[in-house]
Amino acid sequence: MELLGAVLTGAVVAFFLGAALAAVDRRAAYAAAVAGSIGLVVAAVGELVLGPVHGVAWTGPLGEPEALTLDGLSAFFALAAGLVWVATSVYSVYYDDRPTPLLALAYCVTLGSIALLTAASSFLLFLVGWEAMTLGSYGMILQAAGRPPRVFSAAFVFLAFGEGSTLLVVLAVAGLHAAAGTFTILPVAASADLAAFVFLAGLVGFGLKMGIVPFHLTEWLPIAHSSAPSNASAVLSSTLTLAGVYGLFRILSVLPAPPAWWGAVTLSIGALSALLGALFASVSEHTKGLPAYSTIENNGLILVALGVALVARSEDLASLYLFALFAAFYQALAHAVAKTALFLSAGYVEHATRTYDLGAVGGRAKDSAPGAVAAALIAPLSLAAAPPLAGFVSEWMILEALFQSFRFSPPAIEFDGLLAGAAVALAAGLVLVAMVKYIAFSTLWQPSSPGPAERPRGLGTVLGALAVAIVALGVGAPWLLRFLTPAVSAFARTAAVAPVSGLLSIPVGWSIVSGSPFGILSPPAVPVGLAVGALLALGYYALGRRGTSRRVDPWMAGSAPGASGETYSSFGYSAGVRIMFRSVLGTREVRTRRSALAPAGPVPYHVQLEVLDPFRVVYDALRRFGLGTSDSLKEHLMPGILGRYLAYLLAAMLVVIVVVALAI
Amino acid sequence: MSTWLGRAWARGILTTRYPAAPAADDEAPETGRPPMPTRPLDELAEAPGSCPTGAIGPAAVDQGKCIRCARCRAAGFALTGPVEASGRRRSELVWPGGRPGATVPEAGLAPLGRSVHVFLVDVGSCNACNLEVLALANPYYDATRLGIFFTNSPRHADVLLVVGVPTEEMVEPVWRAYEAMPAPKAVVAVGACPTSGGVFAGNAGLRPGLDAVLPVDRYVPGCPPPPVAILDAILALIGRGRPRAGEA
Amino acid sequence: MTAPSSGRTVRGAARPGARVPAYWAPDGAVALWNDLAAGRSAVESPPASPFPEDVRSAWAVPRFDPRERAVAPRQPVEGYGVFTFPYGPVSMGVPEAGRFDVRTYGERVLELVPRVGYKSRRILASLVGLTPADAGLRVERLAGNFAAAHVSAFLAAAESAAGRAVPSRDAWVRAVAQEVQRIYNHVHVLARLAEAASQNVGLAQAHALAEEMLRVAGATFGHRWMFGALLPGGPVARLGPSDRDRLARTLDRLSEEFESLWEVFQGSRTFVDRIQTTGPVGRDEAEHWGAVGPTLRATGAAWDDRLRVPVVPYDDLFLPVAVESAGDALARLLVRVQEVRSSFLLLEQMLQRWPRAEEAPVDPAPPVGPHRGIGRVESPSGDLVYDVALRDGRVAAVGLRTASDANWPVFAVGMRSQVFTDFHFAWESFGLLFAETDR
Repeated sequence: MELLGAVLTGAVVAFFLGAALAAVDRRAAYAAAVAGSIGLVVAAVGELVLGPVHGVAWTGPLGEPEALTLDGLSAFFALAAGLVWVATSVYSVYYDDRPTPLLALAYCVTLGSIALLTAASSFLLFLVGWEAMTLGSYGMILQAAGRPPRVFSAAFVFLAFGEGSTLLVVLAVAGLHAAAGTFTILPVAASADLAAFVFLAGLVGFGLKMGIVPFHLTEWLPIAHSSAPSNASAVLSSTLTLAGVYGLFRILSVLPAPPAWWGAVTLSIGALSALLGALFASVSEHTKGLPAYSTIENNGLILVALGVALVARSEDLASLYLFALFAAFYQALAHAVAKTALFLSAGYVEHATRTYDLGAVGGRAKDSAPGAVAAALIAPLSLAAAPPLAGFVSEWMILEALFQSFRFSPPAIEFDGLLAGAAVALAAGLVLVAMVKYIAFSTLWQPSSPGPAERPRGLGTVLGALAVAIVALGVGAPWLLRFLTPAVSAFARTAAVAPVSGLLSIPVGWSIVSGSPFGILSPPAVPVGLAVGALLALGYYALGRRGTSRRVDPWMAGSAPGASGETYSSFGYSAGVRIMFRSVLGTREVRTRRSALAPAGPVPYHVQLEVLDPFRVVYDALRRFGLGTSDSLKEHLMPGILGRYLAYLLAAMLVVIVVVALAI
Repeated sequence: MSTWLGRAWARGILTTRYPAAPAADDEAPETGRPPMPTRPLDELAEAPGSCPTGAIGPAAVDQGKCIRCARCRAAGFALTGPVEASGRRRSELVWPGGRPGATVPEAGLAPLGRSVHVFLVDVGSCNACNLEVLALANPYYDATRLGIFFTNSPRHADVLLVVGVPTEEMVEPVWRAYEAMPAPKAVVAVGACPTSGGVFAGNAGLRPGLDAVLPVDRYVPGCPPPPVAILDAILALIGRGRPRAGEA
Repeated sequence: MTAPSSGRTVRGAARPGARVPAYWAPDGAVALWNDLAAGRSAVESPPASPFPEDVRSAWAVPRFDPRERAVAPRQPVEGYGVFTFPYGPVSMGVPEAGRFDVRTYGERVLELVPRVGYKSRRILASLVGLTPADAGLRVERLAGNFAAAHVSAFLAAAESAAGRAVPSRDAWVRAVAQEVQRIYNHVHVLARLAEAASQNVGLAQAHALAEEMLRVAGATFGHRWMFGALLPGGPVARLGPSDRDRLARTLDRLSEEFESLWEVFQGSRTFVDRIQTTGPVGRDEAEHWGAVGPTLRATGAAWDDRLRVPVVPYDDLFLPVAVESAGDALARLLVRVQEVRSSFLLLEQMLQRWPRAEEAPVDPAPPVGPHRGIGRVESPSGDLVYDVALRDGRVAAVGLRTASDANWPVFAVGMRSQVFTDFHFAWESFGLLFAETDR
């Protein structure tokens, strides 16, 4: 156990050592990050198998004990983060070809601080990690290629939301300290009002980092619009948001038993995030914007599962409570792996084509490494919940949990569960649109533009490994769920049992069962069925049908394929969604004449079908209000007249004198 | 909904008994049938001159060229021939002495069993043949009862029904449609236009007939052929057509 | 009646001084629109300039490349994600050979360009040198389901060129044929709309009614599409006293059948919903682009050749003109429905007031020298004009403006900003034929 503790300590140190090494050599920095990630994974697995891991301990500035430790809950998040960091860091060795070491530096700082906050034994250390993480990721976003001016504004928006998040988290921690009298992470017996305050501050504060609605601007602006480096995007999207999830779970794990409305609020916000995230993902035309919106959807799903769990807890539905928790954990794990693969494959495409335009990156399948193609196919399929992949299992579990919302006794909350179920189902459909679009137009479709056929070395292997991991997480779900039991137990503070069993002649332990039993799914049976089907098809083909197949042009209603020189655009693929959801997306068609001078022949119109995030309008109004107020303050109160300022001083002094006099 | 059902019930069964029974007069009016000489052909000296498309020769009548204009009636012809006048080869439509030869139905598409999917291609028609083919779907003919289905893509089609005289512009599209079909497949030239060019034979920029473009498996004379004749031609492809004149 | 000449100077509404070539000009023949624009024609000019200048000159090219020839006004569109989606020339949705190039950013039509010329059979050129009776065999096969209208207009033009009055019985037979075919075509449009809306029971019943109209034509004219029946030497129309009684009874029954069918269609919310506001055309647009027929009347303009160009027997019959104002697919269908009613009414009147004297149709006697004439009828889709020049009793040149020619631009304009899924509703409601333009 001491050995594991040393490994944990070493892992956290390795990241910060990497940050220092960045000044010497980028590759050394990323190598240190690889070592740290592996160490984190080892420590986390050790915790889940053997029990709590205790690393280095010391006395903090406030005289309280501080330590690096892993319990079940933090071990799970450390495992999820460490796993994807191994891939991202190896990938970065090949990917990062920048002249300056700043990206490597910020990268290592971000990873180290996330590891630190995960392993923190007290909320004080947690806050240190949290703030360092925000600053580190701000640094990464600043390293966007080309550094257009809007990178700065996007990074600034990210920082503003990040600091807002820190403020709320500090409030939540302060609330906990008020109740427990210590920063050490221990269950507290807070009053109902204080607990509610901590919960709400935590939900909003961590929600800001998770990018849930209405704070999704913090998610998509920096990642999508600033074209952050792909390894940074992967870290930001899959593990930075995971840190938010961890924080929320951590706060809930120390609070007393929740009333039902906590669950209902979480459920509603989660469902709304899932729906809007999916909607915006399906209309995104950016190879990284689309996955970024999908992250909002996935974090929404985690909140939905958490919401169901909280309600079930308050209703004493033990079996549903634990099942929903397993669903939330599995969703977090599945999303982290798949989203990392997706962003890294977007980086692969970017490397080859130097563009993020979904409509312009097609046709890469032929000259890409097999691993890259596999990842670009499997990661979106997993996010679209296609069997037998990881995302399928977790989404099935979440829907199964939602189906059981009929067990909730307050009619309003039962109805809430119903609505959330509908929203999640709709979101699943929209995500399918988004992911099919991503697959079809970024990897398989016939080339829409001839790009440089560059094959970045090494990246394909990493992507291939991630693809294998996604399949393994799907097929092996019943066994992995048992492996995650300590994490759920640690959160629920009760001995959890993995919802696996056998039914319908499937061996015991091969199936996931919800309720007692409500629904059943055997992920291993899916590939078995697929294999049998493939064997049958192959057998049929081998038995004499060979040679009768002909290769013909696709049927294009009698026209030669590609005769018009244009192909179906990715924009066109999702135009139906834009038009159908025009009331939400604010879809409008903007027509402009290209030229005011009329030459011979008709002047072409320029047509743009624009969508507008409704929350963007609110934020813009807020921004205008803020700027307008400060402008008028500047103009009227601070006009630069010395006499006026002296008058202010005098007035302030008088007020102080009066106040002090009255007080005495 | 109930109104529709009530109406459907009230109308009763409209569907023809063809091919179990011979074609009725209202299914094949006068011009739906091939012209037959009322006397031996060599006695009708004026007949060849009365024909605007040259279908009537001194010794034989080429039903593939006949556009059923009925002008030969004045020269001793009557439009009384069999509705089942389609042939596997162009030569089977040339009737020596004006009488049909032994045009036996064939069973070339036996693997299809009792169900064929047909796809319609217009290569330059006047739209009448198109509408006669589409009329097979109406309740009077109801081709689905005989296992004949219309498809929306040649990918699912067994039989290509081609109407119209092939124009230069349509040669490539119709060839593409033929290429897209899975084997076994058949091509039916519906009407005088794809069979011989019909009334437009010899116009600039037109192919003399569909067999200059695609291998044709069945020629259906008529301008346009009545739906029962088209129905019979499709059935004959799979060996289910009505027995021909000259057969037992 | 003037001597044919090629390329007159256009005056009036058209651009002054522009030389408009003839439609086709093997031996320097006719330029119908020159004469119409100059006001020299025997008939009134259509409501507005029917074609923009560039489209008209495109007609002069005798061989068309389908990819190049546009019959509709262009409105080029560009923008992010905008691409061209070709539809045709072979599709079951539009069972004719013709293609549409749809400019779109997906789902919504920004610009629709009909590509005609795929089935161009070069018919007009092949008519030269034939007698009107032989030419008639080709004219009726120009657009089979409008054969009665085409051959009537062609023969009227030929007779006018030959300086002969239309034989009275012929005029009545042609009118009966036209009205029967009009009913068929309008019911066919109803059936196609029902098919597009997946109203399968309604489709079957409208389809059955259309088939019955074909059988009426077959029984009365010896040919389901009336080919040859209006020409000398063809199948003789059976319109004797007992035939007329039988025909009147049949039509009576079919008229009731149609009424009860339409009543159910009218009550089908799903059906009406799909065609309401689909493919809208304003009256300004319709008149600007020179729309004709139900397309024009559905925008509120009461133009019908049967009233505006009164010939025997329409001059003496009661004909209520169907007019709607909404200009969408529903309005066009409502116009067609009312026209089915008025056609039944006209047929009833004609059969009752059938002229006594029975003449056999005869070939127009050939006068010597060049002469030309114009024939104009209301085809099921609208105004149809033939301009025929005869030389020594044989066709010297034929000019032609069909309802489809006139309505292509309106269709293209009406499809703008519509979604793909409404395409078939709009398409069927206009009643356009590629065959009428590809001649």
